[in-house]
Amino acid sequence: MTNQSSVEKPKDLVVSPPPQINGTMSKTRVMTYTFIALLIITIATAAIWWPVMTPTEMQMATFTEAGLTGFLAMPLGAILLVNALIAVGVAVLSDFIIGKAAADSEVNTMSAAVFGLIVTLCYSLGLPGMAKAVEVMPLEVLSAPGCFIFIALTSFLGLVIFKKLQGMAGRKYLNPAAAAKFIVLLPFLFSTFLIKEHWAPYDAGGLSMPQLTSAITKESFGVYLQGCYGNPGLTSHPSTESLMLLTKFHGWPGGASSIVVIIVGVALIFLLRNYFKWKITATYFGSVTVMSLIMTGIYGGDPMTRLLFELFIGSSIFLGFFMATDPATTPYTRNGQIIFGIGLGVLTVLIQMYMNFFGGALLALLIMNLTVPLLDRIGINKPFGR
Amino acid sequence: MPYEHIKEVKDKARVTPIEIFPDPKTAIVILNQHSGKPLSPLVAVDDSVAIGQKIADSKERISSPVHSPISGKVVKIGNIYNHCLETFTEAIFIENDGKKTKANTLSPISESELQKTKPADLLNIIHEAGIIGLGGAGFPTHIKLAPPADFPIKNLVVNATEGEPYDTADERLLIEKTTNLLRGVNVIKKILGNPKVTIATKVSKADAVPKLQEVFGNESDTTVVAGHFKYQQGDASVLQKALFGYETPPTKRSYEMGCIVQNVATINAIANAVFEGEPLISRVVAFNGEIAQPKNLLVKIGTPISDIFNQNNIDMNDVRQVVVGGVMMGHAIPTTEAPITKRSSSIIPFSESNYKKEQKQTTCIHCSKCISACPVKLHPILIYEAIMKPDMEKAEKLWNKDCIGCGTCSYVCPSRIPLASTIMASR
Ligand code: SF4
Ligand code: SF4
Repeated sequence: MTNQSSVEKPKDLVVSPPPQINGTMSKTRVMTYTFIALLIITIATAAIWWPVMTPTEMQMATFTEAGLTGFLAMPLGAILLVNALIAVGVAVLSDFIIGKAAADSEVNTMSAAVFGLIVTLCYSLGLPGMAKAVEVMPLEVLSAPGCFIFIALTSFLGLVIFKKLQGMAGRKYLNPAAAAKFIVLLPFLFSTFLIKEHWAPYDAGGLSMPQLTSAITKESFGVYLQGCYGNPGLTSHPSTESLMLLTKFHGWPGGASSIVVIIVGVALIFLLRNYFKWKITATYFGSVTVMSLIMTGIYGGDPMTRLLFELFIGSSIFLGFFMATDPATTPYTRNGQIIFGIGLGVLTVLIQMYMNFFGGALLALLIMNLTVPLLDRIGINKPFGR
Repeated sequence: MPYEHIKEVKDKARVTPIEIFPDPKTAIVILNQHSGKPLSPLVAVDDSVAIGQKIADSKERISSPVHSPISGKVVKIGNIYNHCLETFTEAIFIENDGKKTKANTLSPISESELQKTKPADLLNIIHEAGIIGLGGAGFPTHIKLAPPADFPIKNLVVNATEGEPYDTADERLLIEKTTNLLRGVNVIKKILGNPKVTIATKVSKADAVPKLQEVFGNESDTTVVAGHFKYQQGDASVLQKALFGYETPPTKRSYEMGCIVQNVATINAIANAVFEGEPLISRVVAFNGEIAQPKNLLVKIGTPISDIFNQNNIDMNDVRQVVVGGVMMGHAIPTTEAPITKRSSSIIPFSESNYKKEQKQTTCIHCSKCISACPVKLHPILIYEAIMKPDMEKAEKLWNKDCIGCGTCSYVCPSRIPLASTIMASR
């Protein structure tokens, strides 16, 4: 079947298969819109983050006292921009080299650039004000210059292994950015899996985190969230609501400001319509909401606080719009996308609750990615009139 | 389900009145214009023929004769490019003698005789006039209008949606031949035993809607529906869903649901045959596309397409692609020597810079847009992958045969994958 190539016939008329016109949306256009959306989030976050020095003077002092060196104090916003440059640069360059070297690979600059920004925006940055327990927090990963090396590694591995190699092997199973981040940061993520260290007090080498499997209240959990996400340079923090919705100073840059992500995400959905798998986004946030309410029903406490945490934590809000909708690693079918979104939401909350892993959405996404071939098979709907 | 919007390029063409195109010097009448087996010639080289004389026919049930569009002499019986089948097929070449001698092939009736004429006699006129579905399908109309007796027809739908983005021939007929269409509808009503009539047209046909309301508004059991129909709803089954709410299973014919859908140009041809005794030897063709002044031409069937370009003083060096029968479902032809057939609803030239932009196919980005856009709820990319493997069993399990060839999936695909043509070719 060679009907994609236009055959030139006598009289120089071009014969190509119908339809003879195309819609206005092209691959480059889809990628460019997505890139611009991500760029807006990056720049907005850099601006919000600019006033915060990482580490702060006080943190630097404690680190030196503890004999930790090698930190470069930079505005958090600047770290993010450098990260973005590195990630995009590494991705675009690797894509170009592979594209030239391997015969059956296309150079896809826009798609590589989008990948670079996704890596950037899901790469956690920022040292929380409470970051005293140096043994638990992978401080060098969260700040300059360590983060520059780790993000370069993530971008490179993600593009080469999870984007290109997976792509050549046929279907892409794992979300490249999520998988790469998971592999590169595995040594550090391990500490967060060890439940005991989470709710152990700081002095005992823990994170002093209230258990999610308890009646979390605005007081206990809210204060914890403020310590975790508040501006480390300040001692008093705005309300938990404004923290979770407007500005967080630690974690995924992509989720630093939930409002920015929501505005940009919704605008992108409006622009791309069904070229964007918005059904996943909708069902994901829907199921996270329902799960949070169910968990409040089981463990009690303040439903609002739990909901704020589950919905607006950086990983949930950014992942719901920009990673869980990655076209290549999500289902084709409508039903498949709906099941995918629901499954992702349920798993995210379960992992966050029972493994106390804040980036639960990331692991949930990788697990759900693996179910995509199955979801696509069971998601097939009957055609018109059957 | 939201149907994909496809931008129409009709502003100029839809307001341009039908113009009679001069008879060709040589008419080339293709023997396989209907969907079915080719006809056998009834004339030989050197025979003289008159306008309207039957020149080829077949004993096959699904067939429809053809007639000479001009008077003159048969000069050749040979092959010519047939856009309906996208290949070279047999045709009768007739040289015009300019005398315009007419043959009386049909026995027309007067309008007052209609009610006492037997349906079988009306069907016979339609058969002998060589009328086939002029919307593009080419199915013989006398067969379509004679469904098995155990399926009474409750609804007759006049498909006046004309969704092909460059086609305007039907729209001009709606405006200029409205009363003739009413006569045609009355013939069909008589044949089918007075079904309800629904005239489905679009709000965007601004001049046609008031005309239809004026002429059909007072008819009994007749509704004029001016809707915001999308291109995909021009398909008979998809249109019935919009009008009546049901989905016709692909295994069933429309008449099994008690409905018959007829295209505007076909109804016009029926009226011409039954009341004027005119066999189908001409049709309105929209000449639209990248040309300064789009036109609607009443062209003799058999006219070489090159005549239309010559008469409009178009330099063929500027033309890179010529599409016949609509940009969505029609075909690009390799040569303008090809003649107009009964199914040539439009001729659409494109220039070098504009023919099918961004043609380069790239890999699927899995956006799933083709799936959400398919009007019959298929999974184009999954079918395409199965065909490419090739795993025809899987393609069939994904109902590749249900594809209506609307082209929407290819149209929307950001990676420019030829989904529609590949799926259609696999059926
Ligand atoms: S061409 Fe076939 S598969 Fe493609 S959208 Fe139309 S009906 Fe669906
Ligand atoms: S529209 Fe094209 S790119 Fe999108 S899923 Fe279908 S085939 Fe793939």
